[in-house]
Amino acid sequence: MSDIHSDDDTSFEDEPSNHIQPRSLAEQVSFSIAALILFTLVGFICYLWLGKGEPSSPKPVVTVKPIEEISGQFQVPFELTNQGDVTAASVQVVAELQIQGEIAETGEQQVDFLSSHETESGAFVFSQDPRKGKLIIRVASYKSP
Amino acid sequence: MKRRYSRQKRATWTRELEDVIRGACGGFLFGVPLLYTMEVWWIGSTVAPPLMLLAIVTTWTVVFFLSRTEGFRRTASVSFGDAARDTVEAVAIGLVCTTLLLWILREVTLQTQLSEALGKVVFESVPFSLGVALSNQFLSSSPEENRGQSSQASDPAQAADLKPEISGTLADVGATLIGAIIIAFSIAPTDEIPMLAAATSEGWLLATIAVSLLISYGIVFEANFANKSKRQQQQGLFQSPLSETIMSYLISLIAAAMMLWFFQQLDFSDPAEMWLSYTVLLGLPATIGGAAGRLAI
Repeated sequence: MSDIHSDDDTSFEDEPSNHIQPRSLAEQVSFSIAALILFTLVGFICYLWLGKGEPSSPKPVVTVKPIEEISGQFQVPFELTNQGDVTAASVQVVAELQIQGEIAETGEQQVDFLSSHETESGAFVFSQDPRKGKLIIRVASYKSP
Repeated sequence: MKRRYSRQKRATWTRELEDVIRGACGGFLFGVPLLYTMEVWWIGSTVAPPLMLLAIVTTWTVVFFLSRTEGFRRTASVSFGDAARDTVEAVAIGLVCTTLLLWILREVTLQTQLSEALGKVVFESVPFSLGVALSNQFLSSSPEENRGQSSQASDPAQAADLKPEISGTLADVGATLIGAIIIAFSIAPTDEIPMLAAATSEGWLLATIAVSLLISYGIVFEANFANKSKRQQQQGLFQSPLSETIMSYLISLIAAAMMLWFFQQLDFSDPAEMWLSYTVLLGLPATIGGAAGRLAI
């Protein structure tokens, strides 16, 4: 700690900067790093901006994973990916289980925000085995943010 | 002669580092409440690149005018060029600190889309950059004042006195509690803590603890803020910097847990892991507030 104290003292001594001082090497280095960070960020944003073609609509696509049976219940995991270039809001995924031509069970899930190429995952839970009937999982609606 | 030169050189590096750390700590103090606001994450996720650039330009302009009067450096930068350079640094410090915290809080991960990550970082960094620019203004006192206080406080007669030790400790505990409550009380009842807890894991909680301790230590001891010399001479159980940082972190954690319980985010029937993750996540803003509170006394 005593080390830091002595450094403090020196920094106080040459404190008043009424006369114009050239920038020290330390200040030059930290400025260069800062400028580099800022320009990299602006570069990335410009890359995103220019790299974008005509803005298309969001394309939320749902993929269903293998069914898992957990303590008498059937879980159907799904993944929701937005394949479009625009963010979708309030993406609604609905599931419908038809057994012998009749709707036996339904499920509904809503994802608040789905950025371009973002993937969210979740699962629908049924009490009857979906393999014994017809399972429909689809994106029902979304909102443009 | 050569030795004197190298000593001077070292001093300028140290001063530069102190300036940057002081700026970063100011940024943390100012920026953390907005970091725990999910609406800003959403805005960041959906914002278009031109608006990101506009946000950077706006921040840069506001910070520039702040830098012309104050800025994060001890040396007042009044010339146009100096203020412009300091502004670039202030904005960059804000961006780096924001990225670090968003990374630790798992709001930005390797799986996050570039556009979403950039949007979140740019929008969350606005108050951070303002905090960097204001750090000298609200956290620094004049060096002469500091000096007077330190020579006064290092009086050996005072050290022998037991009474100030107890009252000093109590004052520190009180100040930590007040600071922690001011910053974390408005975050505790919101949905952000459960959301962040859902996204984190044990390893990241450890990282959150480490970052909380580092920022708290930085604010009170390394950043050369107001009353720092006084603090290092302060009597009481919180005497050594390390023990003060750890003690105040524990106090902030207890305060965070109590606030979460008060707002019914946590219940005694909830599992221990939930208590742990919620408390550690709210402990980050609480300990930053606590560190600021101790500076105020």
